[in-house]
Amino acid sequence: MYKRYHIETSPVKLPSTQVGKFVIIRHDEECLNCGRCISQCIYDVHKRDSNDSRKMAEPESFFCKNCFSCIQNCPQQALEMVKNKESENLGDTYWTPQIIHTIWNEAEEGKIPVFGAGYRGPFRGSGFDDIWTDMSEIVRPTRDGIHGREYIATSVDLGRKLPWISDFKKLNMPNICEIPIPILLETDPLELNSKNIILAITRAAHQLGTLAFLDIKNYFEKLNPYLKSIALRFPLERVAHINSVPWKNVNLIEIVLPEKFLISDLEHVLKNLKKKNQTALFSLGLTDPCLSEGIFKLVQDSKVDILNFYTDNHGQSLKGDLFICKAIRKLHLDFVKSRIRDEISIIGQGGIAAAEHVPKSIICGIDAAVLDLSLLVALGCRVCKDCLIKSCPAEINKLDPKTATQRIINMICAWRDQLLEILSAMGIRDVRRLRGEVGRAMFYEEIEKESFEFIFFEDSMFK
Amino acid sequence: MKNIEIKNSESRFRSKIGKYRVTLNDKCFHCGLCVELCPYGIFERTEGFNFVFTPNSALCEGPDCREGSYYCTTKCPVEAIDIEPHPQWKTLGDFRWTPDLIITTWEQAKTGEIPQGNLEYKIGASGGGFDKFDFNIDTSSPTPSGEVDKIKTSICLNRRSEGVSIEIPVPWYGAGMSFGSISLPSMLSRATSAKVWGTFTSTGEGGYPDELNPYSDHVITQIATGLFGVREETIKKARIIEFKYAQGAKPGLGGHLLGDKNTPAVAKKRGAVAWTSLFSPFPFHSVYSVEDHKKHIDWVKTINPEALISVKVSTPSDVDMVAVGSYYAGANIINLDGGYGGTGAAPEIAKKNIAMPIEYAITRVHRFLLEEGVRDKIVLLASGGLRTAYDIAKSIALGADGVIMGTAELVALGCVRCGNCESGRGCPRGIATTDSELKEQIDPSWGAQRIINLYAAWQKQLKLLLYQLGMKDIKELIGRTDLLRSIDEK
Repeated sequence: MYKRYHIETSPVKLPSTQVGKFVIIRHDEECLNCGRCISQCIYDVHKRDSNDSRKMAEPESFFCKNCFSCIQNCPQQALEMVKNKESENLGDTYWTPQIIHTIWNEAEEGKIPVFGAGYRGPFRGSGFDDIWTDMSEIVRPTRDGIHGREYIATSVDLGRKLPWISDFKKLNMPNICEIPIPILLETDPLELNSKNIILAITRAAHQLGTLAFLDIKNYFEKLNPYLKSIALRFPLERVAHINSVPWKNVNLIEIVLPEKFLISDLEHVLKNLKKKNQTALFSLGLTDPCLSEGIFKLVQDSKVDILNFYTDNHGQSLKGDLFICKAIRKLHLDFVKSRIRDEISIIGQGGIAAAEHVPKSIICGIDAAVLDLSLLVALGCRVCKDCLIKSCPAEINKLDPKTATQRIINMICAWRDQLLEILSAMGIRDVRRLRGEVGRAMFYEEIEKESFEFIFFEDSMFK
Repeated sequence: MKNIEIKNSESRFRSKIGKYRVTLNDKCFHCGLCVELCPYGIFERTEGFNFVFTPNSALCEGPDCREGSYYCTTKCPVEAIDIEPHPQWKTLGDFRWTPDLIITTWEQAKTGEIPQGNLEYKIGASGGGFDKFDFNIDTSSPTPSGEVDKIKTSICLNRRSEGVSIEIPVPWYGAGMSFGSISLPSMLSRATSAKVWGTFTSTGEGGYPDELNPYSDHVITQIATGLFGVREETIKKARIIEFKYAQGAKPGLGGHLLGDKNTPAVAKKRGAVAWTSLFSPFPFHSVYSVEDHKKHIDWVKTINPEALISVKVSTPSDVDMVAVGSYYAGANIINLDGGYGGTGAAPEIAKKNIAMPIEYAITRVHRFLLEEGVRDKIVLLASGGLRTAYDIAKSIALGADGVIMGTAELVALGCVRCGNCESGRGCPRGIATTDSELKEQIDPSWGAQRIINLYAAWQKQLKLLLYQLGMKDIKELIGRTDLLRSIDEK
């Protein structure tokens, strides 16, 4: 019987993520303890002191939602609101406090963030914030914004598609792995080598029905029940020395390419691995968006099924200084031009920090996105400058594995639901159709030029 | 036109929010010199008392008065006065609605005048769109008042040769906000001001509360995808009917009203079950083509042949095509609602990422309608993220006939843009709420006066701007993109 894909969420609070955005300061010397603020605040920030009800207790700033009611109604102007430094200092320029708070909420609730009032942010930003996705005003039947979601497919196939069938007798079906969401996971985003986290992320991938990338050096026996959900990754130069590895049982094997290598070595390794596991998909881990002839040839000859493009945590490519959007657009188009785009799946990772980054990167040309640092943020990570697992302020290493897994599942459920929002607004019923569909997006540079060029034509804006 | 009464309408809150913090340190010996010096009344000392009160910082205009003879900090004999930027200022507002814009909108709602002082009231800090360009004029020239008053700001809401002609004295009307998303006193405030000014307000998609009947000549009723509260009699009551295909803040998703705000009264009006979350569908399930859209319009015209038809759409990349389609289907008004528009509740992902900002859409649609030769047959109204009189003027210069204002009216009622309208008891400031206790914070006659004043201040700014541009009528400004120039990013 057909079983609809469903992600089971359940709310999980984490003390380390209970960081308010604002701090309410009550100046004792001005305050009359009149209690007017208690009646003004609908969020219970203000209370009387439980020991001495003549006095006001310290404001519970965490609950403050920035409404200014207490401040503007205080007869003595004894209250003041400032930004919470702890919240302001979260993350960095890319992983902004807003992004971190959003992931924390999603991981806690498993729901789409819904708020009142219009958009509050800057008109545009860089990278993903320079893209608007499209929508359709009058659309085809059988779609309904919020009620018809169940008809939208989010599953994608990893691996090659058959170009054409010339002879059914000789039909040699390529290996394909269908995952129910266009999202894969990275088990060790900051190279923390924490078994707890690796296990939590692997289990989340297992429950979600997707795959989690695991470095071979991080493999340990407790992961054995989840081998089918693991994408095993190892560096090209080390494969010959690794024998005690469960090659047979995984669905995806990735070879990370070093800066310099011989295609013949790679071919040799691929051949050997295929002997060990005939059903697995083979992926190449890349850092350079410019591909060599040799790799094109491998794709053409069906020797590899997937390319995994790595960027850093800010989405910058490690070579060529391109943002992930541009880099994957280039990769995608190179394969389109060579007419072999369907013979390869492209996935990418790095800098995917918010729900909208998944559809936007798919529009730029990947088949599925690999989540990395965002998973740690779901566990309470604050993206501090120097990461040392031993001194982690959120102690993510010590999380109860069940809590950790559930928070990741919650976040991914929220992200999938938001992907559905975007797809339903466009009137697209299958995420596979979104890949490379730049026509369903508007890019800042193009749209600004198209719309305003004639206004500013004497200006230096586009010259 | 009848005289519109502008009278001072104080904030309903006791204390103001200021940009600077003025403090007296321990050195102060209460000589009282500052009380005499400061023209803003920051320092106070009651007759017969020795002590100077804690300074009322919110009145301070900042160290800009350094040049003046009354600059307290240097005049104080013991250097006891400190002026510093108030850290609280940073907690107010956001990129689109900067603290300056919120406070100056409050000021306009209070006085009905163009804001004085040194807060920025024309432009926000979003770094793009409206905030990236300005009018190419010399604003330093003095303005004789007589000629300014004669400048016309009215627009006609029907540019077709057939059908009734409705003229509004200002180039805007109030945006659709449903009963349920905002409270009845807020709706009444908006309707009263619309009636006084002779413009319109819109019911949104939550039905037509009976309390609005006295204002029915100035109330647009909306037919949205959920058809909540749509009845033949509500359609008959209205002079303008608005088809809401989509909303800028949540394009392609349909309206959201979360269960907490769906009280029995709201649910009754909508014909829904109380305390359940209401999600309008998207799109209209009876409309899959322009022909279907025309049938819709014909249906309304059968019920109310006199009504003008407005079509509210958001801004996809083919918005120009949608606009032309609406024209041929018989619409009188096309309302483009840009992606950064207001909402009572919307998924955060939809607010930034889906559909284009209004600034782009106006120029595209205006140009396309011109090319199609139908621009002079349809009224193009823009909404979605407009805040100030200058945004209104810029929209018109980009090609709109007029605009639709929403959030700014709520700011006039005391909104601080905290963004908590969607759930729980709703708005802590009593505007976007259905809570029986919270909504009492707004007295409709007070609220109406605030919005009347804001309209007056906007009209004054538009007239002044038109004067500076050498124009006598706002219609001359339509599509005059040559008057705009870009502001270099700071």
